[in-house]
Amino acid sequence: MHREARAANYVFVSFLIISLTLLSLPLAGPVRAFKACATYLLNPFAYYGDKGFERFASIPSRLRELISADMDNRSMQERVKQDQWIRAEAESLRTENARLRAALGLKAPGGRAALWAHVLERDPLRWYRSITVDAGSEQGVSLNSPVLGNAGGGLVAIGRITEGRTKTAVVLLATDELSSVAAYLVSPATATESGSAPPPSFEGLLQGQGKARLRMNYLSPDAEVHKGDLVFTSPTSATFPPDVLLGKVAEVFALDPFLAFQSVEIQPALEASRLKEVMILKQAPPTAARVAEMVGAASAEDAGDEEAAP
Amino acid sequence: MSQYARLLTVFLVAMVGQWWWSSHGAIYGVAPQLLLVLTIAVAARQGPLCAMVMGFFWGLFLDVMAARLVGANALALTLAAYGTGSMRRQVDLLGLAPQCLMVASLTLVYFMFMGLMGLVFLHSFMWVGWMSFLVDPFYNSFVALLVYVLWESWMEPAR
Repeated sequence: MHREARAANYVFVSFLIISLTLLSLPLAGPVRAFKACATYLLNPFAYYGDKGFERFASIPSRLRELISADMDNRSMQERVKQDQWIRAEAESLRTENARLRAALGLKAPGGRAALWAHVLERDPLRWYRSITVDAGSEQGVSLNSPVLGNAGGGLVAIGRITEGRTKTAVVLLATDELSSVAAYLVSPATATESGSAPPPSFEGLLQGQGKARLRMNYLSPDAEVHKGDLVFTSPTSATFPPDVLLGKVAEVFALDPFLAFQSVEIQPALEASRLKEVMILKQAPPTAARVAEMVGAASAEDAGDEEAAP
Repeated sequence: MSQYARLLTVFLVAMVGQWWWSSHGAIYGVAPQLLLVLTIAVAARQGPLCAMVMGFFWGLFLDVMAARLVGANALALTLAAYGTGSMRRQVDLLGLAPQCLMVASLTLVYFMFMGLMGLVFLHSFMWVGWMSFLVDPFYNSFVALLVYVLWESWMEPAR
């Protein structure tokens, strides 16, 4: 302990002398040299200290920038997701627009007014049997109104209205088992030659089977039917306008010797699963000329009666 | 890590800390005398010899960094180390409160001593200003508290 105290005293005195010497000779060459040397040695403290401080000082701002960038990133990701959704929606609308534009170019068969309606509902259990559309009695849809679809820029028959509600209606598809349509069958070559309304070749009755394909019965046993022959609605059809495409022959069954007719299987021109919009044909309101004609006829009839009276 | 290595680390880190605090961490121009606080802490725990060596060189560091009296800080810190180291034979300076009290009182002495050094060697009293003179004793005591806690957690296991 004494030794340590003595050493401390020696050190104290030494440092005291050194300090006082330095203090006493502030401008002397050795002191300035010492200070320059010490400054040179201690300079890294200030230099690297300042560098380190700059780095540490920039941490909060960088952290703030990082957090801000992260928030921006999240926001942008949300916007990208929304944009993707909007793009998909726009694409869907564009497709629908193109489809509707094509549909607008279609003309309803004569004497009828066309009403376009969207498919609202399709029962998976009754996929080939019926659909529900968003047009009802308020729009003038009546029972047994024919329903057409758009396939490849042309109209095809797909069914008829069997249940009319205020704003919706149920369409019984031609593929339903209860559905039957008077139709005629014609080969594509004949149809091309004679234009859009080919002459009837082989009449028959198109009946639904509750599945994707239809069956055409009561064809003459002598009829020459081939795969790919086209089937149109017959002028004798009570529901559909004549010459509307129904489908094409998909399979010709072998002639049954016990039956007096032959049958073929028909591929519908428009599959039920592809239906999005349908054209409902409703009775067109009478025009002014038609009204005048009807009034004139009634007047003439009255005059005839008067003449015959005496 | 041996005790000498720890002391050396303290010696170097303290210089950087003092430089940083006075250059970038001053509040309204008031920065603590970290090296004075550490000199007192070392003297209270390690004795005057070690404290004087460290204090002298810390003082030289302060002198070199300052443009005025070379040797004043070295002398002041040497005296502080010697005084504290000598006083610990009579007073228990290992506690927190005595160390804070010692730091506060020696801060005032340090300021007055530096002023007198200026008066003697530069013929003008080097006054630190009322702000530093009134605030720094408390500021240094607060730093002494931090130093005490850090020392207890980092240096004491080496004892």
